[in-house]
Amino acid sequence: MLLLSLLLLCSAFGAAEPGGNGDSIQNMQCGGACHGDASINETSGALLSLSSPATIYVGIPTTLTLTADNLDTSATRLVGLFLLTDMTGHSDTPQDAGWEILSDANGGAMNYIEQTLDPGQKEINISWVLRASTLGSTTFYAAIHHGGGDSSPFFGTTVSGFEVTVQPVPENLPRLAADFTPPTLRTLDASTELVIETQFTDSMQFEWKSEDGLIMNAIVNSTGDNSWTATIPAALQPTTVQWRVLLIGEGPEQTTPWFTLAAEEGSWEVTENAVYLQAFALLFMTAGIVLALQTRFSSDSSLAKYDETPPVIENIALGKSPVDLAENHGGGQA
Amino acid sequence: MISSETFHVVTTELVVGSFSVAGLSFTFCTLIYLGLLKRPSWSPIFDHVAHFTLAFGLAATPFAILSGLSSAPGEGLNSPILVNKMFLSMTGFGFALGCLLARWRLGGKVWSTTKSTALHGASGLAACGAMLLTASAGGTFARGESLLDLFHLPYEHVLLFPVMVSAIALLLGITMLVISWKRMNASSTVH
Repeated sequence: MLLLSLLLLCSAFGAAEPGGNGDSIQNMQCGGACHGDASINETSGALLSLSSPATIYVGIPTTLTLTADNLDTSATRLVGLFLLTDMTGHSDTPQDAGWEILSDANGGAMNYIEQTLDPGQKEINISWVLRASTLGSTTFYAAIHHGGGDSSPFFGTTVSGFEVTVQPVPENLPRLAADFTPPTLRTLDASTELVIETQFTDSMQFEWKSEDGLIMNAIVNSTGDNSWTATIPAALQPTTVQWRVLLIGEGPEQTTPWFTLAAEEGSWEVTENAVYLQAFALLFMTAGIVLALQTRFSSDSSLAKYDETPPVIENIALGKSPVDLAENHGGGQA
Repeated sequence: MISSETFHVVTTELVVGSFSVAGLSFTFCTLIYLGLLKRPSWSPIFDHVAHFTLAFGLAATPFAILSGLSSAPGEGLNSPILVNKMFLSMTGFGFALGCLLARWRLGGKVWSTTKSTALHGASGLAACGAMLLTASAGGTFARGESLLDLFHLPYEHVLLFPVMVSAIALLLGITMLVISWKRMNASSTVH
C-alpha cells in the first residue's frame, strides 16, 4: 500500500508525458513543462525556419509556415511545435501580439500543436492561418519540444525572429469578411456546408483537398450579396481536409490560405457529478445487499441450533409433555 | 518518475491478476462447500487464497481508478466507455467489500449453509466478473478491441440514473451497511 501510494504521488507530480500534452494555446515554457526548464532540458538539433507570403494585409487571413528539419525524436516520434511572438515565456502567443489564429495544421486554432512523424521522417512542414488586427511589424518565433533516446526533454527555437509587416488593405480588394471565422471541426458521416461571407467579391471558386493532396472543386452557390455556400462531402473516418477560395472582383484576384477542417466523432458529454454519485451508490448498494443477505442467511444458520421445534414435535408425537421435555433438557437453553 | 498511463497499467495488472485468482478460488470453494467437488481438504486453502487475493485486489482498485482518471485523454469523463468502467469497477468494489466484510465478521459461517455458500460464492464471483468486465472495457477504449468483444457488450451505452435516484440508492446502501454491521456485531456478541 505504501509503495503504491508513493508511486501514485510520483505519477501525479512528476508525470513525464511521452504521449504528448495535446494541442493548446501555450507559451514558450509550455506551462512549466520539463522541456522549457533550462536545468533539465537539452538543446534540440532541429533546424526551424518560418516563412510567409510576401504581402500581408491587415484583417485578411495569411499563412505562416514552419519548416522543421533534422528531427531526431524518441520512440513515440512525437514533436510539439510552437508559434510564438517573443521568447520571454509569458504573453508570447500570437494572440498577445494582436493576431488571431484561424486554423492550425491539426484542424484546431492553437499555437502549440503536436505531430507524429512517420518512421525515418526528418523534416516536417506545418502551417498556421492567422489574421492581423493591427498595422505594423511583428516578429514571430518557433519552438519545438520532443523526446530523445536518453529520455531527456529536448527544446529548440528558431535561430532568429521572422519579421512580418502588415499593410493596409488596398481599395476594392476582394476578400473574406472581416468577421468571418472558418470552422475547424466537423462531425463524421455528415457533409459540411460552408457559409462564406466576403467583401468586394463578384464571384468565387471553391477548392478543397483531402490528405492525399488531390485538389477538387466544389459548386459555389450565391445566397445573397457577398454571401456564398459550398459543400464538402462527408468524411467517413477521422481525417482532415483543407479548403480555400479564389475571390474575383473589381480588384486583383485573391486566393485565401488553405484552411484546415478536421472531422471527428461527435463529442460526448455527461454530468460528472451524477456519474460519481451513481458510482458510489452502486458501491454501497452492492456491499449493503451482500452484507444484509449474508447476515440474514448466517443468522438463520446460527439460530438453527437454538431451534427446538423438531425435537418438540418429535416428543409430542411420542406422547411426552412439555414438562418432561424441560426435565430432559435440564430446564432449557435460554 | 513514471507517467500516470504506466502507473495505470501497473495497478490494473495487479487488480486483474488478483481478482482472477480470487475468482478461480471462489469457484473451487463454492463447488467444494456445495458438495459438487469432493475435495474437502482443499477448502481451507481456497478459502484463504480467495479472500487474500480479493483483499489485495481491492486495495489496488482505488489506485487503478485514480490513475485511470488522470491518464485518460482529454478532460474528465468524455467517453461512455469510461463511465461504464467507473460503474463496473465501483460495483465490483462493492461486491468485494461486502464479501470481505462478511468473511471477516462471520468467519467460516459464510460457508455454513447452502444459501450462505451460494451467496458468498456468487458475491465473490460477481466482484471478479465486474473487474474483468472493467478491464475488457479498458481494452476496448485503448485498443478498440478486447477478448469479450465476442459478446457484443454495450459499452457505448450508459444507464445513468437521475441524481435523486442515485442519492436515495446511496443512502439506502449506507443504511443497509450500517444495520448489517450492527447485526453482525450483535450476532458475534451473542455467540
